[in-house]
Amino acid sequence: MLDGKNKMKKKNSMGSLRKNIIREIINTKSRFISILAIIALSTGFFTGVKTSSPSMMETGSKYFDDQNLMDFRLISTVGFDDDDIRAIKNEESTVDVMPSYMSDLIVTQDDIDFVVRVHALPEITDTNDKLINEPVLVEGRLPQKSGECVIDSYFYEANGYKLGSTIKFNEKVQNNNTADFIKNLEYKIVGVVDNPMYLTYQRGNTNVGGGSISFYMMIPPEDFVSERYTAVYVKTKASESGLSPFSDEYENTIEQQTKEYEELSEERIKIFNDTTLADARKELAEAQTEYNDKKAEAEKEIADGAKELHNGEAELADGLLKAEKEITDGEKELENGKKELAEGQKKYSEGIAEAKTKLTDAQNQYAAGKEAYTKAKLEYDTQISKAQAELDTAQNEYDKQYNVFYSSTKPRAETMLTLVRTVMSIGDSGITELETLLGEINEQYNTDLQSKKELEDIIAKLGEYRTKINEYLSISDRLEELNLNRLSDTLKKYINALNDAVLSVETLIGKLEGIYDIGDGVIDKLTGVTNNLKAYYNNLDDYSKQLDNAKVQLSDGEKQLSSAATQLENAKTQFENSKADGAKQLADAQIQLDNAQSQLDLGKLEYENAMTTGLLELQTAQTEISESEKQLDLGKQELETQKSEGMKKLKEAREKLAQGKAEAHSGLSEAEDKLNEAQDAIDALNNAKWYVYDRDENPGYSGLEEDALRVDHVAAVFPVFFLLVAALVCLTTMTRMVEERRTEIGTLKALGYSNVSIASKYFIYAALAAILGSIIGAILGLATLPYIILDTYSIMYTLPDTILHISWDSFAFSAGTGILCTCIVALITCYGELKQQPATLMRPKAPKPGKRILLEHIPFIWKHMNFTSKVTSRNLFRYKARFLMTVIGVAGCTALILAGLGLKDSITVIADRQFGEISKYDQVYALSEAGTSDKKAYLMSQFHNDKRFSDTLLVSQHSTSINYGKNQKIGLNLIIPEDDKTFEKMFILRDRIKHDKIDLNDNSVVINERLAEVIGAEVGDTISFTIDEVTYSSEISALTENYAGNYMYMTPTLFSKLINDETEYNVVYTQVEESYKDSGHDIANDWMQNDDIVTVSLISEQVDSILDTLDSLNVIVFVLIICAGLLAIVVLYNLTNINISERAREIATIKVLGFYNMETANYIYRENMVLTLVGTIIGLPLGILLTSFVVLAIQMDMVMFPQQINLISYIIAFILTVSFSFLVNFIMYFKMKKISMVESLKSIE
Amino acid sequence: MMKNFVEFENVYKRYRMGEVTITAADGVTFSIDEGEFAVVVGLSGAGKTTVLNILGGIDSCDEGRIIVGGKDISHLSGKDLASYRRYDIGFVFQFYNLIPNLTAKENVELATQICRDSLDADTVLDSVGLSQRKNNFPSQLSGGEQQRVSIARALAKKPKLLLCDEPTGALDYNTGKTILKLLQTRCREDGMTVVLITHNSAITPMANRVINMRNGKVISNVVNPNPMPVEEIEW
Repeated sequence: MLDGKNKMKKKNSMGSLRKNIIREIINTKSRFISILAIIALSTGFFTGVKTSSPSMMETGSKYFDDQNLMDFRLISTVGFDDDDIRAIKNEESTVDVMPSYMSDLIVTQDDIDFVVRVHALPEITDTNDKLINEPVLVEGRLPQKSGECVIDSYFYEANGYKLGSTIKFNEKVQNNNTADFIKNLEYKIVGVVDNPMYLTYQRGNTNVGGGSISFYMMIPPEDFVSERYTAVYVKTKASESGLSPFSDEYENTIEQQTKEYEELSEERIKIFNDTTLADARKELAEAQTEYNDKKAEAEKEIADGAKELHNGEAELADGLLKAEKEITDGEKELENGKKELAEGQKKYSEGIAEAKTKLTDAQNQYAAGKEAYTKAKLEYDTQISKAQAELDTAQNEYDKQYNVFYSSTKPRAETMLTLVRTVMSIGDSGITELETLLGEINEQYNTDLQSKKELEDIIAKLGEYRTKINEYLSISDRLEELNLNRLSDTLKKYINALNDAVLSVETLIGKLEGIYDIGDGVIDKLTGVTNNLKAYYNNLDDYSKQLDNAKVQLSDGEKQLSSAATQLENAKTQFENSKADGAKQLADAQIQLDNAQSQLDLGKLEYENAMTTGLLELQTAQTEISESEKQLDLGKQELETQKSEGMKKLKEAREKLAQGKAEAHSGLSEAEDKLNEAQDAIDALNNAKWYVYDRDENPGYSGLEEDALRVDHVAAVFPVFFLLVAALVCLTTMTRMVEERRTEIGTLKALGYSNVSIASKYFIYAALAAILGSIIGAILGLATLPYIILDTYSIMYTLPDTILHISWDSFAFSAGTGILCTCIVALITCYGELKQQPATLMRPKAPKPGKRILLEHIPFIWKHMNFTSKVTSRNLFRYKARFLMTVIGVAGCTALILAGLGLKDSITVIADRQFGEISKYDQVYALSEAGTSDKKAYLMSQFHNDKRFSDTLLVSQHSTSINYGKNQKIGLNLIIPEDDKTFEKMFILRDRIKHDKIDLNDNSVVINERLAEVIGAEVGDTISFTIDEVTYSSEISALTENYAGNYMYMTPTLFSKLINDETEYNVVYTQVEESYKDSGHDIANDWMQNDDIVTVSLISEQVDSILDTLDSLNVIVFVLIICAGLLAIVVLYNLTNINISERAREIATIKVLGFYNMETANYIYRENMVLTLVGTIIGLPLGILLTSFVVLAIQMDMVMFPQQINLISYIIAFILTVSFSFLVNFIMYFKMKKISMVESLKSIE
Repeated sequence: MMKNFVEFENVYKRYRMGEVTITAADGVTFSIDEGEFAVVVGLSGAGKTTVLNILGGIDSCDEGRIIVGGKDISHLSGKDLASYRRYDIGFVFQFYNLIPNLTAKENVELATQICRDSLDADTVLDSVGLSQRKNNFPSQLSGGEQQRVSIARALAKKPKLLLCDEPTGALDYNTGKTILKLLQTRCREDGMTVVLITHNSAITPMANRVINMRNGKVISNVVNPNPMPVEEIEW
């Protein structure tokens, strides 16, 4: 009973609680919806997007299962036989094997060639129980008989074919006949299919036609002509065991199985070689021997002919040699004659010159002689007159002299002579007397003393001397008069001496008188004087002698005079003689001169004569020589004619031989060709190879997983935002709610309700909102997002209807986190209130007091703000949780929008940059491997000559791989340009940021930035790369900007050095002339006619494919924007809602004060607007970060996203966010308007 | 002085609460002269607040005519009513209704900034004796001080009519007295027409006119020729 009552009670209490909660929800709809919406948004978006990826894979996976998509496709160069098929079937991994056929054929439609891949329809055989690669019939029916086909739905939609129309194949497929492959040329379209092998619009490549397959079709297997199977489809345990085709297990299994089948292929090829090939080889060898024999025979015959020809040649050569010798001799003679003539001419001119010189000399001499004669005559005349004059002068002189001599000189001389003689005689006596005196003196002295008397005598005598001296003096004077100065001088000297002597004697005497005693000295002196006198006397003697001489001279003079007279006489005679001689000589000279004149005249005459004759002779000789020259030329001409005739004959003979040879050769070469063909055929069989292709080789297959994962990566970014915002929304909402219900809580508490039961209301309220939100969100999210996203991809993928593969993990995660956050927040706020006493709780909570904010301390700003602004500012900082919630929410909104737009910008820019700025080529032609460098040079010249190309570049291109990390491997293209300059025009190598040009050098390689990033290499590192299983290494010199694909660039020099061989070029890059840009396909088709071109790829097709991917991104961007908008709206709505309900009183008050509606609204909205602006401003840089995060998340090994956000994207993000804010304000305006002043003013609660 | 500055003519106001209709104003008719201190007195639910609300332009009447200063306000549009409140009415609330986030001075300025001709906030605050508390937030003020701010806010607009809804209701005796004194002084000195509602009939002697209401009807409208100063009133 009691129990029942309790139960009842409990039920009742539960009932009232439930009612309370339901009422609460109804009363606070907007609050409940706020929580519900944010949780729904976060759960729905996350679950929805997260489900897209597995759904996409699940859809694909189911499609593959349903159509029983093969695990392996085997292709062999020699086809397969039944034994091969059995061997494959017997492999452990094999479940089913379906042998089939496949050919690439050509259809021409409106002058355009299309390459069609023709498959055989799948059929049940001994080795497969189920059809493999079963097509999905879209329209019509499957072929039932030969000549019917089903066609590619993609192509069917794109082109004008209809059910029932006919496809006609070209008769030829390059060098082969279509009839060699299939039975009929025409096929009727009876149905349209999808084939699981073709997942996307890509149809793959081929070595036929334009290089890419346009569409596929399927015909009955019986229509294939080939004896051997051309394709084998294998179903293995990998897919049969139910592994998801996108799982790692599947991939690993396939990897192992690939090895298994490759091993099998080697075995089978060996068997093929041993059986089928062996016989063919033997036959070939025999044929070869026979051919060799025949060849030897023919060669011998040819050799004989050649020998004969050779002999003939020798004979001709001999004959010619002889004739040539004769001519040479003649020439030699002619040469000699010429030489002689030249010499004669030389001599003649020399003789003439000599004669001329001589004549001139003679003339000169004659002239000189004449001149000399004239001169001599003139001289003769002058000299005669001069001599006459001189003679006259001499005569006169003579007469004069004669006169002088006889009239003056002779008498004077005679007088003088007499005088001198007198003097002499006087002198003689004087001296003797003196000597005597001296002797006497001496005697006196010597004997005894002299008596005075004697002295007086002496004195007397001295007087005499004096007289005598005077006499002498007069004589001397007379001498002087007679101009006999010398004589006079001598005499004077003598006189003087005498005088001196007398004087000294007188002095002596005086002295003797004075000093008689003076002794010996006086005597000595006297002796000296005597001596002197003697000397003088001697001198006088000399003079006397001289006078004698003079006398002789005088007589001489007389003689001379007479001889002069004689001479004069002689001279006169001589003069007369010479005068006569001179005249005679002059006359002789005149005669000689005349003779010379006449001789000169004669000489001149002779000279002239000689000249004339010489000239004549020379001319004759000249004529003779030219005559003989002419004859020689004739001879030569004849020789030439004969020679050329001989040569012609010889040539004819040779040609005949050559012809014979050629004939023999062509016969042989035909045989050889046949032999070679046979050899080639055997070679082809010889190099037999199987190719083991797994599903990844199906065009577009691997893209599905990548695309799916990309969506997943993008989805991973968002829950953070949503959850954070959800938590904040719950926090603010629940806080407000609990605050509002303070009194109620207090009352309940006072009534004795336990904390748990009080709190449970709020807990349940929150949990209910969160759970409902999660469920509604998940349903809405799952119902929309996967379909939207998959629909987008269905543009690219041929997939059946989407199968939803709900990502329960994601749902559990997002819903769980949301619910947990909400409930925890509810409990925390609730218990915060419950801690207080019921009495406190029942009192109204004082409104949160106003507080000064930082801004107020900047009076400049604060003073200029109006009250709404002031209130706004204070409010903004008063409720920090709301501030955070709104700013994060709004920032998240902006960031999401920007990330979506940025993602699109980044990808758009790839196409622009890669194909607009970096790769400047339009078409890439792969050359066949066979072919000499000459052949390639010829091909290149053809390319150059094609005016539709503005540039062509020969490149050595190699598929290369680099190992990095742990067993990771990345493929890339190695580009080795032949020509630097063209390369620079077609491949722009540059630094991504600075745009500095990068040059190739001969020591290191350049790789693209993304590749370096993936393998973790830097500039300066040495990287190892593998080409055809050989590993090389080189240093990285620079990283170049590139977005699509991975590339390594190096120079031919470096490559040759690395491979130790010449660089062989195998690809031609071309740039199409601007005016031909639209006819790329035609150009490619034209060139595919060339056997040396294997494939063509058009860059425009790559661009299209990238642009397709871009379209699919639009949807993602749209979804992002919608979610971002919802986020902003929920947050702003919540904020405004709280603000309005909390501040209803304030609003009512200002309304009462007379604020108009708009003013009142602004009072609240200003907060929203400020928060929106702050959020947006924070959101923009956040968006940049988010963009890089998303871009990195979806980045592939092969593609680098440049992370570009256009200005317009920022603007759009900003405007959209602000618009969302306005939208919320608009909605809330009505709520605000409805606030009743009366109600709000009633009381505090 | 204008006679019949405020006129209520047969004003009805009915509230619909679910199925029940409450007639809050049941043919209310009265008039107040300009410059009078009028007290509307009555028990709770007598309809006095309704009358005040309708007079203040924050509620509308269902029937009848209200003329204030010669202008019929009974059929004004929302915007015109707002203008009416803005320029003609000063409201003093029982619970002051100050904006908690604005200081005393700012609360006054909130009113003055929307008026064409207003008093200086400082002057008004000085005149209500709050010179020292101008920069305090409401939460830092006592109830009386808050009510004075509220009165200052109403006066600053220079309203034609000052409406007071139980201004002393939340205050203690003495504070209430000061507030009433303030209002009476304003009325006397500035010639301001004041309409005050209260359930406390003890304060009626201070009024020029006492309007007594019961059950939504005016039961008396008495002019008091000799109003008592507030100091002399006791309750």
